[in-house]
Amino acid sequence: MQANEFDGNAAFAGGGFMPSQATQTAPDRPSYSSKNSDARCLTPVTVKQLKDLSKVGESGISIDGVDVNNIVLVGVISKIDNAVSDCTFRVDDGTGWVECTKWIHEHVDSVEVDVISVGMYVRVYGQFKSIQSRRPITDFNEIAHHFLECIYVHLYNTKLRPRMTNATDGMTAQPQVANSNSGNHIMGFSHQTNSTNQFSNQYNTDEEQIRGISSMVLQYLRRPACLASEMGVSSDIVARELNVSVDKVRKTLDFLASEGLVYTTTDDHYKFTDA
Amino acid sequence: MDTSSPAAFVNGGLLRMHVGRKVRTVIQVTRSDAGSVMGKSTDGCQLVVRGSPPAPLTSYVEVIGVAENENSIRAELWTNFGDSFDASNYDQLCQLANGELKHLFL
Repeated sequence: MQANEFDGNAAFAGGGFMPSQATQTAPDRPSYSSKNSDARCLTPVTVKQLKDLSKVGESGISIDGVDVNNIVLVGVISKIDNAVSDCTFRVDDGTGWVECTKWIHEHVDSVEVDVISVGMYVRVYGQFKSIQSRRPITDFNEIAHHFLECIYVHLYNTKLRPRMTNATDGMTAQPQVANSNSGNHIMGFSHQTNSTNQFSNQYNTDEEQIRGISSMVLQYLRRPACLASEMGVSSDIVARELNVSVDKVRKTLDFLASEGLVYTTTDDHYKFTDA
Repeated sequence: MDTSSPAAFVNGGLLRMHVGRKVRTVIQVTRSDAGSVMGKSTDGCQLVVRGSPPAPLTSYVEVIGVAENENSIRAELWTNFGDSFDASNYDQLCQLANGELKHLFL
C-alpha cells in the first residue's frame, strides 16, 4: 500500500463494500459499483460495533450513519450447536462474541456445516438477524485485513462522507490517510488553498514567522515557472514577489533547505526539491 | 452477544499498556520449549509466551491470553498462522486499534 497513491475506493468498490454514492453529485469522484441501494452493500464489522448498535435500539440498523443490512465478520468458532434444521455457532473475533444461526434446508448446507469446527477461524457473511454463509480461513492475513477494512469503512463514513456533500470545502475527496506529497514537516500546511491571508501578522516569535513565511515561499517555488527554471529562483526575487524582507526569506530558505524541501543550485538560488 | 472479554490487539511495545488484561498478538517463533515459547513480536521485540503450544508449531502463531508483564503473556488460546504472514500489516493494525480507533475494538 503506497501512502500517496492508494485509492481506497477503487480497491474496495468491487465487492460492494462502500455505501452507494447515489445521493452525492461531485463529478470528479472515482466511480463506485453500480448498486444504488445502501442496503445491498456488505459492511465489515467487529462484534463490538454490532453490540454498540443494538444498545441504541434502533429498528433500522445503521452504523456510522450508513444503513447496514449485510455484514461480514471474521472470528474464531468458540461453540457449535448442531440441530436438524439449523446450526447455531458462536463467533468470537476478539472484540466480543455473537451467536450466528445457519439454516439447513438442503444437503449442501449440512456439508458446509460439517467442515466447521471449534477453534477454527472463519469469515461469516449474513444479515444481522441471520447468517447465510461462512467459509474457513486459510490465509491468516485475512484477519488483519478484515479489521483494517472495518477501520477504513468507519473512517470513511464518519469523516469523508459528510465532507463530500459540502461543496465549499475545497478539499479533494480521496479517502487517504496521509496525502502530503512534500513530507510531513510542514506544520498545519494546507496544499489546497492558495490564500496568503492564512499567515497574518499575529506571529510574535521569529520561529513562528519563519513557519508562516515558509509555506508562502514553498508555494511560490512550486509554481510551474519556478519548477521549470533550471537555475531556480534567487532569494531576492522571492522576497520581492512575496513582499517580505530578504533577510527573513533567506532565513526561511535556510530552514527549508535543512528540512530537505528546497536545495541550492548556484549561489543564492533555490529550487523546490520534489520536482 | 457479549463483549465482556475483549482481547486488545498488541505488539511488543503496546503490551505494557495492557498488563493484567486479555491481549492478542502474533509472534514469529524463535524458540519453543515444553512450557513456553519465545518469539519476535511484529515490531521486533522479544516476547515470552507461557503455556502449552500446539504441536507442530508454524513460524507465526497467534496467541490470545493475559499479559503478565511488558514482555510476557500467559496464553489461553494458540492458533497457527502459517509460515507466510504480513507482520508489518498486523503491526499497523495494532497501532490503529490502540489509537483513536480503540472504540471499534474495546
